[in-house]
Amino acid sequence: MANVLSALQDPSPLTVLLPALLGAPLTALAGWGRPRLGAAIAVLSATLALVLVLLAWTAGGSNLRLPWIPSWDLWFSLRFDGLSAIYGLLATGIGVAVLVYSSRYIPLHLHHHHRDARQATTFYALILLFMGAMVGLVMADDLILLFIFWDLTAVVSYFLIGFDRDDPASRPAAMMALLVTGGTAILMLAGIVVLWQMSGTASIRELAIDGQDGAAFSIAVALIVVAALAKSAQVPLHFWLPRAMVAPTPVSSYLHSAAMVAAGVFLIARISPLIQRTAWVSELLIVVGLASMAIGGLLAIGRDEMKRLLAYSTIAQYGYVVVMLGLGGRYGAIGAGFYVIAHGLAKCALFLTAGAVTEATGRKQLSEVGGLARAMPGLALAGGVAAGTLAALPLTIGFFKDELFFAAMFERGPWFAAAAVLGAGITFAYAGRFWAEVFLGPLKGLAKPLPRAMTGTIVVLSALCLVGGVVVQPFNTLANAAGSATLLEPVATTLAYHFDTRPANVMALGAYSLGLLLILTLKVWTNLSARYAALGEQLGPERLYRVSLEAANRLSDRIHGFEVQDLRARVATILVPVGILVGAALIATPSDNAFVIGPVGREDLLLLLVLVVTCAAALRAAVIHSHLSLLLLLSAVGYALATVFALAGAPDVALVAVLMETMISLLFIGFLSATRDRPQVEGFEFDHDRSHTFRDRFVGIVAGLASLIVVWGVLSKPAALESASLDQIALTPAAHAKDVVTAILSDFRGLDTMGEITVIGIAMIGLLTLLARPRHGRCR
Amino acid sequence: MTRFVARILFAPTLMVALATLVKGYAETGDGFAAGVIASLAFLMQFVAFGERDVRKSLHTRYAPAVGFLGLALALLITFWPMVRGDPPLTHLPPPDASVIHLGSLELITAFAFDVGVFLLVVGFGVTSLSLFARVENREPTI
Repeated sequence: MANVLSALQDPSPLTVLLPALLGAPLTALAGWGRPRLGAAIAVLSATLALVLVLLAWTAGGSNLRLPWIPSWDLWFSLRFDGLSAIYGLLATGIGVAVLVYSSRYIPLHLHHHHRDARQATTFYALILLFMGAMVGLVMADDLILLFIFWDLTAVVSYFLIGFDRDDPASRPAAMMALLVTGGTAILMLAGIVVLWQMSGTASIRELAIDGQDGAAFSIAVALIVVAALAKSAQVPLHFWLPRAMVAPTPVSSYLHSAAMVAAGVFLIARISPLIQRTAWVSELLIVVGLASMAIGGLLAIGRDEMKRLLAYSTIAQYGYVVVMLGLGGRYGAIGAGFYVIAHGLAKCALFLTAGAVTEATGRKQLSEVGGLARAMPGLALAGGVAAGTLAALPLTIGFFKDELFFAAMFERGPWFAAAAVLGAGITFAYAGRFWAEVFLGPLKGLAKPLPRAMTGTIVVLSALCLVGGVVVQPFNTLANAAGSATLLEPVATTLAYHFDTRPANVMALGAYSLGLLLILTLKVWTNLSARYAALGEQLGPERLYRVSLEAANRLSDRIHGFEVQDLRARVATILVPVGILVGAALIATPSDNAFVIGPVGREDLLLLLVLVVTCAAALRAAVIHSHLSLLLLLSAVGYALATVFALAGAPDVALVAVLMETMISLLFIGFLSATRDRPQVEGFEFDHDRSHTFRDRFVGIVAGLASLIVVWGVLSKPAALESASLDQIALTPAAHAKDVVTAILSDFRGLDTMGEITVIGIAMIGLLTLLARPRHGRCR
Repeated sequence: MTRFVARILFAPTLMVALATLVKGYAETGDGFAAGVIASLAFLMQFVAFGERDVRKSLHTRYAPAVGFLGLALALLITFWPMVRGDPPLTHLPPPDASVIHLGSLELITAFAFDVGVFLLVVGFGVTSLSLFARVENREPTI
């Protein structure tokens, strides 16, 4: 007991990670078939994870370094610092909120879609798995470990976005998210491997101290940044996020506020010391962030569907964070952390509000709802606070997020300041529009009462936004710690209300006025937004994604179609590329002395004679027109080659060759007698249709020349091979063997043999499945 | 006559196969070659007596089990050293240690691995031969 208490007072990163990761399997197992119990366990384990993260944060951070793959210098190293605290609290805290909300929402959702209520447990387990992956991600110090958690979030997001399996829009959306975030993760892995090779370490902390530089280093960092930007849904890889809105509301709210999208900016913050070393990478961040702010804002302002408006808003809001991280410096580093918390709380509340409104009225479009303030005053108030937080009104935590943003941008120059005001103005406009169109105006349609857990969650989140607007100190400390962890040096700023004309205040006032102006002239902007959206659908990156995906599919279909049309085409698809590759290799490599004809003496006469027989049989086989004669000629070739091996002093090879030749010939004869009177197998017949003659000759000549070149080339330079075989011959007595071939097969290269005989085992399973007597009278 | 020859040659062929296996570490041949020879012995029986009779008299329906047993043995020999922390396929006894000899047979784990290969190849060979023979029987062509 005392051990447990002391572990809780100063939890190691593993104490934080394990409960977070174990919650998902626990929920899935214990809640199997009992969704209510599953929900309770899920909420409890998420709460436990939240408490542990809080304890780890109050204990002041810790490290853990366990050997993982020591021979590769890979460590299972976790580090809990300010960045882990801020993103970990967000992932677990919002996780608890989302799970509480889901415990009411998901059963209703499943009921509407006529699905089994027990699937709710799967949903809770997936959310918990996502949370666990995020907790691991924010603590990982080793880049490879980080990559594993990163991919885990991508895979889980696929299942969460595609949770509504019956919805035809849901699978392509899930696939798109997986392809964009998982595909760019491969770039990230490439970047990681380059960094690892350059510095000999995959630890982020050591890489940051190491001080590597140069073009390869910058490109590697840029590759990681691209993956992070795709995860954070930044232009031009933003298009997956609005599509992901087909998922149930709790998924959207979790992905947007605390997980997935937050993971991208987290990674940028984590490797910030590496990014700041190259000017063009940090400038890339600023450009992409500003573009996302502009495009996300413009598209958000004109959307009619509630969740979609919020989705574009997320793109724009994370654009702010990316810009701040690109700017670097004190305000940028602290502001990024603070922004993520403030936005996370507000955006989660807004998404849950949208879900609640849809649940109550059955409608998804802003134009179809309205006047709900009278019917649902609590929700209206809570939603208003959340929208106010997004719009950065005073008395909400949102005010400070913009203050830091303005300060960071003002430092850079007047143009940046102007862009900041414009961005904040647009945010003000769409946040205001969202709230006003839902809750103000004439009442359209009736609203059902909502479960208390759903409204309650939103109220709690909004209350946190208000608390943060009045007592900002704890959030400020957290953001300071995150900023220090980002820059790897202690930095601090003190947030408070100042009633003077400092630039940040003036900029905020400018943003409010601009926002009001935009709301008053909303029609113009809605039209512009609709036109831009139409243009984007024609020429945008999503179109490019679709076109390239379809092209890849068509190419694959075409190759497959050709390959399966008959036996010869199948052989050709293997042999022709091999021939072409060999030809290319031949052109690329120097060929001096590569092809020589060795001396021929009297003692080779017997060998030559056998080879002549082999060649004659092979040539005759090329023009034969009966299966049986073909078979006999080919086995003649095989036996003759076995004789060659025997003459060349390789009795083991000769023995196996003779045995295999016998076996295959007998099997083929059996086949021929079995298929004698049947309709001919497609592609196996000797067709006298001459249309394929040219193709077949071409394939044969290409393949034959390729193997001739390879064998000739290898035999011309046997020296390198000999040294390896001499070693093995010398080692044979040590392996208690007298026959070197057997020693090679079962000892020196035994793992190869293991792989090969595994293939035999698999082939046997295949044979048994295909040819064993059908049990249900189904004839093949 | 065919049946007579097949019957009297069956045991000697298996003997040759076993000899090839056992002497593999000293002379030409190994588990794979031995497995193919043994399969050929069964093929001879199939040709002479027909698949159905051989299945009854020689219990060839256990062939897949024998094959998977061999695979399991080889896998065990391959990965068991990892349990002790050695690289896979670390054979025992170690180099230069003394080995128990039984004639030309040496009791070493590499030989057990070879036995695994032999069993798998025999199992695979007999399974595939009997399956092909059965396909032929299922739909008589004449």
